[in-house]
Amino acid sequence: MKLKSSIYITAMALAVMAVVSLFVGKYPLTLPGLLAGHEMQLKVFFRLRLSRTVLGVLGGVCLGVAGFVYQTVFRNPLASPDIIGVASGASAGAAAGILFLSGAAAVTAASFAGALLAVILALSLAALDKTGKSGTIVLSGIAVHALAQTLLMGLKLTADPEKELASIEYWIMGSLNGVAVERIFPNALLCLVCLAVLFLLHRQIVLLSVGEEEAQMLGVSVTALRLAVLLTATLMVAAVVSLTGLISFVGLLAPHGARLLTKRDHRGTMALSGLLGGVLLCFADILARSVAATELPVSIFTSLIGAPFLVWLIVRRETRA
Amino acid sequence: MKKIAALLLALVLTLSVAACGVVEQTQEIMENIAVEDELTVEAVSAYPVTVTDQMGREVTIEGYPETLVSGYYISSSALIALGQEDKLVGIEAKADKRPIYSLAAPELIELPSVGTAKEFDLEGCIALEPDLVILPQKLKDAAATMEELGIDVLLVDPENGELLTEMIELFGVALDCRPAAEDLITAMESIEEATMEALLSSSLPTVYLAGNSSFLSTAPNGMYQSDLIAQAGGVNVAAEIEDAYWVEVSYEQVLEWDPEFIILASDASYTVADVYDDPALAGCTAVENGDVYQMPSDIEAWDSPVPGGVLGAAWIATVLHPELVSAEDFAQLSRDFYETFYGLDYEA
Repeated sequence: MKLKSSIYITAMALAVMAVVSLFVGKYPLTLPGLLAGHEMQLKVFFRLRLSRTVLGVLGGVCLGVAGFVYQTVFRNPLASPDIIGVASGASAGAAAGILFLSGAAAVTAASFAGALLAVILALSLAALDKTGKSGTIVLSGIAVHALAQTLLMGLKLTADPEKELASIEYWIMGSLNGVAVERIFPNALLCLVCLAVLFLLHRQIVLLSVGEEEAQMLGVSVTALRLAVLLTATLMVAAVVSLTGLISFVGLLAPHGARLLTKRDHRGTMALSGLLGGVLLCFADILARSVAATELPVSIFTSLIGAPFLVWLIVRRETRA
Repeated sequence: MKKIAALLLALVLTLSVAACGVVEQTQEIMENIAVEDELTVEAVSAYPVTVTDQMGREVTIEGYPETLVSGYYISSSALIALGQEDKLVGIEAKADKRPIYSLAAPELIELPSVGTAKEFDLEGCIALEPDLVILPQKLKDAAATMEELGIDVLLVDPENGELLTEMIELFGVALDCRPAAEDLITAMESIEEATMEALLSSSLPTVYLAGNSSFLSTAPNGMYQSDLIAQAGGVNVAAEIEDAYWVEVSYEQVLEWDPEFIILASDASYTVADVYDDPALAGCTAVENGDVYQMPSDIEAWDSPVPGGVLGAAWIATVLHPELVSAEDFAQLSRDFYETFYGLDYEA
């Protein structure tokens, strides 16, 4: 399929998802009711439904783009922001926030700080290796991930099973439920800035993927650029997961989907990856709030759709070879 | 059908005691208990005694248990109510977090901890060499190990009112304190009766019970907390959800239910003020009318099946139906109960 038409179709799909998302939920909303100015319906629409939809679309786009950036920079189809410890850092931060602070905003801040700390630690550890190979970042990421997991385990051990432990477990499963509209603004702004930076750097990101030596020859300062790009992508992911909790598979799945559709690595693919991420997260969230009488963790659905897709991808590659 | 049957039963019960008033009657019962206790010389039952615990295991206790370990706060609280606290040599973790111990049996806080159901200290428990160990049913593997080592273990499962009564009866036989067990059960039943007045109300208001971990976790049908609301003459809005543990719902679900009352669990990690200040809840009937309350937790978590848990339903009844169960009557009931069974001194 042509790149332009894939982007067009996916963007349409995302728009449809967003509209569906606005009208699916436990509180019955009707178009006539909204137009007639029914007070409670308007409140539910603007305070709860709209903010949740924005979070689903923007969060999915950010995770999709970040996933594309990671896979491209590391030239590894399994790379995702998780490999340099952003997810485990965010979880440990959130757990500390749940245990020692109070209020949802404080937990978001703690989780954001945890994610940032983990990434800075991983990148500075990698900087100790003067050869500047991208593999070093992966290795130091694994070390930081293990460290953050240990911290998380320690925090869980001290948590009350009835109260904090339940909150920590639920946070780790991820949910777009109950995120107040006020808390979305600063994170959304950060996400938009990061997205803009990444799209401006798209050419350089693609150059990173051709190989370090080639990129060097083409006049790209590999180490500095890689650091800047990874930091921007990670910042964006941290802004999303600190609000929603961990969301699995979107960052991994969206870039693969985009490449399958276009078979090329350039700006269009990055945009397509973002759009696919948005569709996936929005769709998963619609299911999470509507299939049962209760709210289900969104990662159940992103994984449910993501895992078979990944298997299919592997099988497909083997049959081609 | 069930609801109608419960209502009829409540009607009959209340009419039969209407003449003297349930609260007075309950008080009388508890006063009698206090007198009886002083007079009763505990009859020594013939050991060895064989009992069936709440997992259906047959346990033969060879001699009168002099030392006990209790690994669950509900069994520990029941042991205090049965006057068995002096026999305890080990207790569950975080005993210092439960006000009832510091109020009724401060020496328990100093006892060695045997951990929680999740992290049970098997060796530590064995090292205490207790005559009898009481554990929640989750620890059945630990129980099997201890049995092999020759330590008697009773597994208990007090997850609702009925099972709690069964557990108290089990303790009565196993620990040779039947009269105390009977008194406790009688008192609990009389408090339940006092609460049943609330069921006579012509209106059953809707209630949203917000859980310990967050406002959006709630008690579905099949949870103890949901039963408490029904006993207190209310309708749990989340009863349409079938589950046995806290479930997560959304703000819009709460707004759609639009409960008349919001009650926060005893150990909620947020406050009533937080709920009033939450912009997402503005417009909800309970918030508009100022009907958000938190279950008291200064003595025990009344939303758990401890013996004093019968007061949980009574307290909710004072919130939902103050005209039928007054706050003063409730305070009196609660005071009498804890004075009689836990030796709390309210004057101090």
